[in-house]
Amino acid sequence: MRELEKLFDRIIQRVNINLRELEFDVNPMVNKLVPTGQMTKFYAFYGITPHHPLNLVFKHSNLSGSYFLGRCRVTNSLLYKSDIRGDELKKRGDLFQYQEFNIPVDQDEEIRIDDSFLIKTLVHNFSHDPETLERFFIRDTVSTHYANIHGSPSDGCYLGPFSTVDLTTMRDCVIGAYSYVQAGEISHLEIEPGTVWVRKPGDFNFMYRYPISQLNNYIYFTGGSPPQGVFMDFVEDRKEAFQRVFNVVNIENSVRVPANTSLDRFAVVKPKTKIGENVLVAQRAFLQNSVLGRGANAQENCYIINSKLEGNNVTAHGAKIIEADMGTNVFVGFNSFLRGRPDARLTIGKDSVVMPHTIIDIRKPLKVPPGSLVWGLVRNAEELEANSMPLNAFSKIDTRVCKGSMLFEGSGRSFVSAFQERIHHILEANGAFYDGNLNRGHAQRNQNISFNTIQPYPKGDKEGLYPTIIIQP
Amino acid sequence: MKNYCVKDLMVPISEYATVPDDATLFESVLALEKAQEKFQQSRYSHRAVLILDKNKRVVGKLSQMDFLCALEPSDANLDQIRKFKKLGFTRKAVALQQEEYLKSAPPILDVYSTAAKLKVTDLMQRPTEGEYVDEHASLDMALHQLTAGSNLSLLVTRGKDIVGVLRLADVFAAVFHAMKESESQLSDGGST
Repeated sequence: MRELEKLFDRIIQRVNINLRELEFDVNPMVNKLVPTGQMTKFYAFYGITPHHPLNLVFKHSNLSGSYFLGRCRVTNSLLYKSDIRGDELKKRGDLFQYQEFNIPVDQDEEIRIDDSFLIKTLVHNFSHDPETLERFFIRDTVSTHYANIHGSPSDGCYLGPFSTVDLTTMRDCVIGAYSYVQAGEISHLEIEPGTVWVRKPGDFNFMYRYPISQLNNYIYFTGGSPPQGVFMDFVEDRKEAFQRVFNVVNIENSVRVPANTSLDRFAVVKPKTKIGENVLVAQRAFLQNSVLGRGANAQENCYIINSKLEGNNVTAHGAKIIEADMGTNVFVGFNSFLRGRPDARLTIGKDSVVMPHTIIDIRKPLKVPPGSLVWGLVRNAEELEANSMPLNAFSKIDTRVCKGSMLFEGSGRSFVSAFQERIHHILEANGAFYDGNLNRGHAQRNQNISFNTIQPYPKGDKEGLYPTIIIQP
Repeated sequence: MKNYCVKDLMVPISEYATVPDDATLFESVLALEKAQEKFQQSRYSHRAVLILDKNKRVVGKLSQMDFLCALEPSDANLDQIRKFKKLGFTRKAVALQQEEYLKSAPPILDVYSTAAKLKVTDLMQRPTEGEYVDEHASLDMALHQLTAGSNLSLLVTRGKDIVGVLRLADVFAAVFHAMKESESQLSDGGST
């Protein structure tokens, strides 16, 4: 265990050196956040498929309960129940488009994690940084519960619980709890908790800030104790169901799964769930008494309960949908929390975009009109009015608009198009448009997947450390 | 222009608006007003107040901008909004968000009365190294210091004492005058 403790100290020191300008100390935030006993308890596992390259290298690290797919190298790091999903990495020979450049990719891209501590974190997508095409690096970084590092190389950063950094290279930054950042490139910034920031320099800039006193009900995190609030209570209440799927070696599907659909064996599916064609259900997703129509998807850490998704719905990583009816083509962004009640259902009209990190938590029935853009905190019709706009009205913004705590500047048309194009791309990548021949995506490719497990030293100084492991075809 | 030195253009400290370091913002403004009244009879227009310690040494300067900043409403939320510039928003966008916030925020009661009681030492700017200039320094040297530091004035020293203030407006007037003279000599066929 001594080696594990030394490794922890080494990582903390390296991250703190990077964050010294911001005077941010990660030690009180993560010290004892995961008891070292827990880090020896769980096996790590990796997937093998005929469709993804396999090249995994683990050195001097703890990988407790974590999952790996594709090309990934982990050195001097602690990964606790994290998902390192390398099924969208660039391949040798691909052309990466950046502004007016078409840059050829020289070798298969690799996720490279060095000197970092990731807790229940999802790493997915590919590096969008034109300066580091073949290496999606995460170094000297600490991330906490349910953070998403999505296509975002990171150097010397701290991510709070339920935060997301999306398609952004970050250096020496602190990302507060439940903040979402998509800004291309950031450095030496401290992003306050509950900030939703989407920027394309020279084109548009969107910002929403949660009222902190309200946000604290949902997620509250200071050093010395685990994250607290509605979000944590919600996932903790459903933790047991996952223990079963991780403990059982051969697990039978409890529902009918069409041939062109992928239901991960590490997802939880409770009774009365119906899954349509071209659907993707990722590991650690939770479905209960819900209908997923054709082309819908549920990514990692998604919870869909007592709800109906009409079809072609994107439910991004960490989003939760409870007691809701979602029209076709509704997009629900990262870590959004949409909660109706049995006697107060939430209805979201077709073609709507629910921005990443949106909270809709209602006590009376609420209908979001078709083609809406929704953001921020919505607990009733009045807050919906304040925190939404028809997409076609948003498209007409060409200078700046301030609505409550939302500030937008730039081209509304570009902003809406960027979202719509991305939603289309996600559906395409997930295999929603597969016709039995063309447009194969994750839903079709991730079906035949084998899982192997690996384990750490059980005792002694190296207790909890995994031996050096190289896994190649 | 090289013939001028700093002391030729400075405002002597005895003619400048000053307050002791325990003064309030309101007392500082009164001192400025009094100095302005004197201006009616003299050439100096006063735009700042100097703050003196018990030994009559200058410890800071309160400009009109510092005074206006003190009147700006302030709370944790507004402080956050003002940081939006770092995130790529224009000043117009920041002002728009600030206005929107103030519409719905609880009223900031009696902003003038609250600001009037503030300690001037909490609002003043402490002079930095580049804001001191010797009284015998050339105008070229002073000009360089003003532009390099984007300063509106410099404190003029004699040994360890501050004896005056060199203001941007006076330097500008002197330089402009010198330029005009030089141009007129050239057009008359003379040489410099």
